[in-house]
Amino acid sequence: MSTRLTPARPGPAAHHTPRPTGRLRATALGTVLAAVLVPSLSACGDGSGTASGGTATLKWASSYFPAHWDPVVSGSGAQFRELSLVYASLTRTDAKGNAVPDLAKSWDYNSRGDQITFHLRPGLKFSDGTPVDATAVKDAVVRAQKQKNSALFGDLTSIKSVDAEGLDAVVHLTQVDYQIPQLLGERVLQIASPKAAASPAKLDQNPVGAGPFIVTQLVPGTKVVLKKNPDYWDAKNIHIDHVELASAPDASTVVSGLQTGVYNFADIAPSQADAAKKAGLDVFVQPGFNASNISLNINKAPFDNDKVVDAVRHAVNRQEFVDKLTFGYGEATDQPFPKGYVAYDPKSADAYPYDPAKSKKLLAEAGYKSGDIKLDLVIPAEDPQAEIVQSQLAKVGITVTIKIDKNWATPFFAKDLTFSVYGTTGRDSALQTLTAHFGPNGPLNLSSPYEPSGFEAAVAKVRETPLDSPDYTQVLQAATRAGLKSRALVFTYSSPNLFAKSKSVSGLPKNPAHIDWTGVTVSGSD
Amino acid sequence: MVRRVLSLASGRIAVGVLVLVALLALFGPLLAPHNPLGTGDDTLAGVSGTHWLGTDYLGRDVLSRLLSGSRISVLGSLEVAVTALVVGVVPGILSVQLGRVFEWITLRLADTLVALPFLLFAVAVVALLGNGITQAMLVTGVLVSPLFYRVARAATLSVTRSPYVEAAVVSGASTGWIVRRHVWAKVLPPIAVALAQTIGVGFVIVSSLTFLGIGVQPPAPTWGGLLASDLGYLAQRPWAPLTPALLITVTVWACNLLADAIRDVSGEAGRALVNDRRARANRAGGRGPRADRPGNADPVTSGGV
Repeated sequence: MSTRLTPARPGPAAHHTPRPTGRLRATALGTVLAAVLVPSLSACGDGSGTASGGTATLKWASSYFPAHWDPVVSGSGAQFRELSLVYASLTRTDAKGNAVPDLAKSWDYNSRGDQITFHLRPGLKFSDGTPVDATAVKDAVVRAQKQKNSALFGDLTSIKSVDAEGLDAVVHLTQVDYQIPQLLGERVLQIASPKAAASPAKLDQNPVGAGPFIVTQLVPGTKVVLKKNPDYWDAKNIHIDHVELASAPDASTVVSGLQTGVYNFADIAPSQADAAKKAGLDVFVQPGFNASNISLNINKAPFDNDKVVDAVRHAVNRQEFVDKLTFGYGEATDQPFPKGYVAYDPKSADAYPYDPAKSKKLLAEAGYKSGDIKLDLVIPAEDPQAEIVQSQLAKVGITVTIKIDKNWATPFFAKDLTFSVYGTTGRDSALQTLTAHFGPNGPLNLSSPYEPSGFEAAVAKVRETPLDSPDYTQVLQAATRAGLKSRALVFTYSSPNLFAKSKSVSGLPKNPAHIDWTGVTVSGSD
Repeated sequence: MVRRVLSLASGRIAVGVLVLVALLALFGPLLAPHNPLGTGDDTLAGVSGTHWLGTDYLGRDVLSRLLSGSRISVLGSLEVAVTALVVGVVPGILSVQLGRVFEWITLRLADTLVALPFLLFAVAVVALLGNGITQAMLVTGVLVSPLFYRVARAATLSVTRSPYVEAAVVSGASTGWIVRRHVWAKVLPPIAVALAQTIGVGFVIVSSLTFLGIGVQPPAPTWGGLLASDLGYLAQRPWAPLTPALLITVTVWACNLLADAIRDVSGEAGRALVNDRRARANRAGGRGPRADRPGNADPVTSGGV
């Protein structure tokens, strides 16, 4: 849809515009289009020809293409999945979400639990030739803590310092914390070459890591081309030769792209799942920790009244979110963890069931008549989720006005908003998920410095419990239970990590929230 | 002039369509069979007796949303056109009359405004002033105003250099009197053309902004917004974008048609048309002879969008 400022024939003088010019323009336009389209179309043909030529190429369209390739700046959001093509980390997670060796072949805690030593694999190099040693680990931690534009410093508060002793990275902690191996995985500590990271701005455009792939071309915001890294420690289990990672076009075009072979792997919107299946693609849900919530600020009216908070809790019909937004692929949740995960607390399940009558009664008890409460729901962009919240609260007599604020992040993270919605993709350390949501300074706790009573003690106990202790599950679930007492968050639903792939790409390891290419093959038959 | 516009078939069609759109804007929300914001369990439903155009992703009635959404689109485009008119025309006329300094300044200002991409600028302003169609349209109106400035200035220039104005100046007539007596009447027709066309451009801008989710707060329905949300569910309702797209297209087309009709019957062109025997034959005898008048054969193509 193009608009023009000036009319083709603005006034009386212009009515002599002769038709032949129009015809000439049309011809010229046709010629230009032909000149542009023919080579690009034949290029498409060439592309698919190369794909069937024997090299295994992954053509990945991502709707959350990374804006930054310096892992310290990119942070621990969903983009870590793309960055992990380039960067390896000390640990990674397995199908159960437990930390397993990556660049570190093993690790051990001291007897007090306030120091952990990671033993790195010998003989590894970053793709620029710099050795992978404890100095690189130390550099990564220091950068994450000190670099001005670091998005990770809040995740590393347990780390006091790192001593580099050859291949042993000795991490000194500020407190007893057995979560560190979970923490220092792909999400929080992807390790870049210290030589390349000497100039963080350069690294942001030219990522250098010791991961499974090496970047050969990077067009910021658009496309990245990578080739297999033969020196990756697990290179024998990487069967993909090339990766072309592209920023995804709009939702429906992604499916067409997959169908025509422009891509062979992409995340898709739930609304596109049917179309993708009909197109003969594999549609699958990768397990994960996605959880959406309604964030309340209990430091501001009307949420400073517990009864109003409880009214909102009972007004939420989670199933409606699942049905309308996830097309049945997601699930209702009242916790930031999926059912069956170690941190999921079965005792807290359905603590505030959908009960609009009770909600209305609570509002009446709080002294509010229907329509008395008028709230602004501030969100960063158009989001059907907000419209559902609005309609559900309208049913109990709370009037919600949706306000889109492009600068939403500033007031949200400054805890200035009263009412918002948020969705997390989770963390590898369950404890980190808990503190981010319920801790006094948790970024997702809109009611800072509020924290539910008993949460601090429960969290400390989790930190002090080794992950292999028989009590760990119980202690962790107790912390979840304590956190869920928070009046600042009402969890609603878990949106699915929905992907579609061509049948030529084999199944992915089911590591929760990760996209791991270990063992995956691309047959190149399409 | 109205009678002359209505004497043309294209003028009658344009006015008919635009009256219909105006009625939609006035009474659309009252005609809506359902609550346009009322969600339901039957999401992305097809056409049925209850929901003539089906339901959207939250189970809301699409027809009701289209009807309710017409007011914002119409008001928004009118706002663009009127703002542009007010901001553009007066300096346009005065630039000829008020001496070189004023002329130079306004010309450079107009050049500057032309250079700014108005859609992007509207997006930036919305980010700065908060999300609202009024501020977005006001800014867009200012950015479109050079069109009126130029048109008004061109028309004024041609009038000012005519012998009767010079005679008036020699007789000691004041600038205000000359503008009121001689310039205004001559400037009006081209401005009417530009206005009709700008309303069309305004529609496209409102639709584009609302398509991008800028200017209106959800869940308020707009034609552009409906189009955007329908595009996300092509697999379920592939025909859904047709209705809002058609509404937008027909409205813009009608505006352009009206602009052409006004142009055809007014000013120099109108006089030429009236004096043109073939044109007379055309009006009396239907379409036959029209084809040999290249300038007027296809008024639709003069649209600015």
